[in-house]
Amino acid sequence: MPAGDSTTPMRLHVSGASGPPVAGSVHGPPSHDWPALTRRAALGLFAAGGLGFALVGPRGDRGAHPGRLVLDYWEKWTGDEGAAMRTVVDEFNASQSKIHVRYLITGTIQEKALIAISGGNPPDVIGMYAYTVPPYAEAGAVLPLDDLAPAHALSLDDYAAGMRQVMTHRGRWWATINTGGTMALYYNKRLFREAGLDPERPPRTIEEMSAAHERLVRKDGAGKLQRVGFLHKEPGWWSWFWGYHFGGALYDPAQDQYLADRPPTVRAYEWMQAHARGLGHVEVERFQSGFGPYGTDAQAFLTGKVAMVNQGPWLANQLVAYAPDLDYGVCPVPVASGLEDERAPVGLIDTDVLMIPSSAKHPEASMEFIAYTQRPQVVEFLATRHCKGSPMARVSDEFLAKHPNRGVRVHNAIAASPRAFVAPTTPVWVELKNVFDMAVDEMWKGVAPAATKLTAVQRQSTTILQNYARLQVRRGDGGAAHGAAVGGPGA
Amino acid sequence: MSPTVRRNLTGLLWVSPWIVGASAFLILPMLMSGWYSLTDYPLLKPPVFIGLDNYAELLRDERFWLTVKNTAVFALISIPLATLLSLALAALLASPGLRGRTWYQAAVFIPTLVPLIAAAMIWFWLFNGDYGLINRLLGAVGLPAPNWLGDPDWAMPALVLTSLWGVGQGVVIYVAAIAGVPASLYEAARIDGLGPVRRWLRVTLPMISPVILFNVITLTIATLQVFAVPYVLFRNERGQRAEGYFYSMYLFDNAFVYQKMGVACAMAWMQLLVVLVLTGVMFVASRRLVYYRAG
Repeated sequence: MPAGDSTTPMRLHVSGASGPPVAGSVHGPPSHDWPALTRRAALGLFAAGGLGFALVGPRGDRGAHPGRLVLDYWEKWTGDEGAAMRTVVDEFNASQSKIHVRYLITGTIQEKALIAISGGNPPDVIGMYAYTVPPYAEAGAVLPLDDLAPAHALSLDDYAAGMRQVMTHRGRWWATINTGGTMALYYNKRLFREAGLDPERPPRTIEEMSAAHERLVRKDGAGKLQRVGFLHKEPGWWSWFWGYHFGGALYDPAQDQYLADRPPTVRAYEWMQAHARGLGHVEVERFQSGFGPYGTDAQAFLTGKVAMVNQGPWLANQLVAYAPDLDYGVCPVPVASGLEDERAPVGLIDTDVLMIPSSAKHPEASMEFIAYTQRPQVVEFLATRHCKGSPMARVSDEFLAKHPNRGVRVHNAIAASPRAFVAPTTPVWVELKNVFDMAVDEMWKGVAPAATKLTAVQRQSTTILQNYARLQVRRGDGGAAHGAAVGGPGA
Repeated sequence: MSPTVRRNLTGLLWVSPWIVGASAFLILPMLMSGWYSLTDYPLLKPPVFIGLDNYAELLRDERFWLTVKNTAVFALISIPLATLLSLALAALLASPGLRGRTWYQAAVFIPTLVPLIAAAMIWFWLFNGDYGLINRLLGAVGLPAPNWLGDPDWAMPALVLTSLWGVGQGVVIYVAAIAGVPASLYEAARIDGLGPVRRWLRVTLPMISPVILFNVITLTIATLQVFAVPYVLFRNERGQRAEGYFYSMYLFDNAFVYQKMGVACAMAWMQLLVVLVLTGVMFVASRRLVYYRAG
């Protein structure tokens, strides 16, 4: 081999060959006295490193519970909510000697669950959101509980009527619920009093809420908003549901048909648009940009910038933590005039669910843990710690008496109401919701009239539903269930 | 075994980590994504071949065209602006006799070291319509204070401004390129009576034109993939704002939010095709504009 060959330097430093470095090479040896590293030595170092990692590197604690079956439970809850659930898990682990559940807090759980399940390595129990039930059920990614649950004395009849809409899909039972999430109107009683409103008589109709809003609006000398009664976009997490409070709906599951352009929905969003126009589209955007995010003491309801918000029961946790002196009341979200019925409030159910991935290795054991979490005393413990309502049909007097959320009875009433509703139960709801949210944002800013935007939403959403139905037919599964969309009225 | 074979095998052995890595994490995924783009693949179910349906569906999809439009407008505004700004800054930094040149260069370059999400959060608060520093300054000098992130008409200008924040990398490359221009050319130009501006236009620009081409191509690729900053600025728990919805965000949504991996892969391949075509066009167009020194 000629001196100066491009491979020479490598042979000098890392090779099995012996001999001195070649002086004068372009890539010649460095002028230090380090010992030459032979190939054998390099491979030995790699092997030693790998062996060391294998022997003393990080490892799971599955072996730390001999004689027990170890289950992984992925849950999204952190902070106080996570600590409460961890207590439940710890008590379950202490209650028996066969199973050990590991509580693993998992951020962005939707994406991670999707990847874990599709990769064939899911957890044993998974805590997801209500809207994930239809797509996971239709994909066969989770196990139906119809056969598993009764063995543990669980029955759908144990749950509030509204909650059963979340737990079931196309006639089968897929999920259980630990804590009830229903949406209600939280209002600031002090601001009501200041505006000359009766704090013990919250608005029941949309018209009353708009009138209260007008009384609550405050502007400074320059005309800048300082306070409003209500904003559809604070927090704005469920901007799609107003049609339901005007007597409409967004989706017909029987026909697999979207209803965004129906008169009640159009009326609802014309009302929303008029509300924003009344405040000034530009000014209300400026005002909102000064709101702090949820989870901080700067959120608009806590600072008094907004007197009424449409929120879930978890808001009470924020009130306890950040504004314990705020005098608040809770009532059902108002409905259009003529639709009010105190015995059957209209309200959205949006709650967390527990499911068992279909490729979970020990479904019976997973069900045993889930069944433990569904015991009345466990549900009431967790719901109390989370400031939420109960998903169960019956609750103890003590639960209601000691609950930290003043609105717990309102939340429970919505959960039991025959007029409670859930997000559209189609597997493509997340996509439809994103289309709707973008349209709401544009309606709110006055970019286009509500009717025009909703017609566009209807067109896009129908296409999404039709594409999904077409692909299902092509796959040969679910075709009959979706046939309506293919040739449906929206086509 | 002959010495040549042995030498080649040894070489292959030492580069095998890269070959294995590139095959497993680049070439194979690319091939797989090409296949998935021809399938209906909702992740929770196995892929099913559907031909070119994903591509056809995208061409009929209003959100696809919305994100194409937003991305194209952003690229058309931000690429020329970023190029002009970085050239101007480089010209200033390369000025003879500039004191503290290293400090200025560091000041221009440091923003590119800030993680994108952190930078986006900073801009989020700078642009705040109510409390933002930018609006405070505009108000202090009597100018109208727009709602940068809330007003659809101001969303694009806000995003372009954030993109200019990261021109430092281009500036540093241009400064190095300018330093490499032979001094004899400037002397000759000076003898020919050319002033500073004409020397810049007639000597500096042609001499650094290959570097400009390189920077414009890499900037184009990065701009067409814009994701993190608009994700932070224009998406929150209330949803996605239409004016801040970009191609790569829609691609991500299709893949991991809507579980339409086939559509996402089709979008990725369309994006690659567009980048390749644009790069090719730039190379062809550059034949008459870019000067390569012989040797």
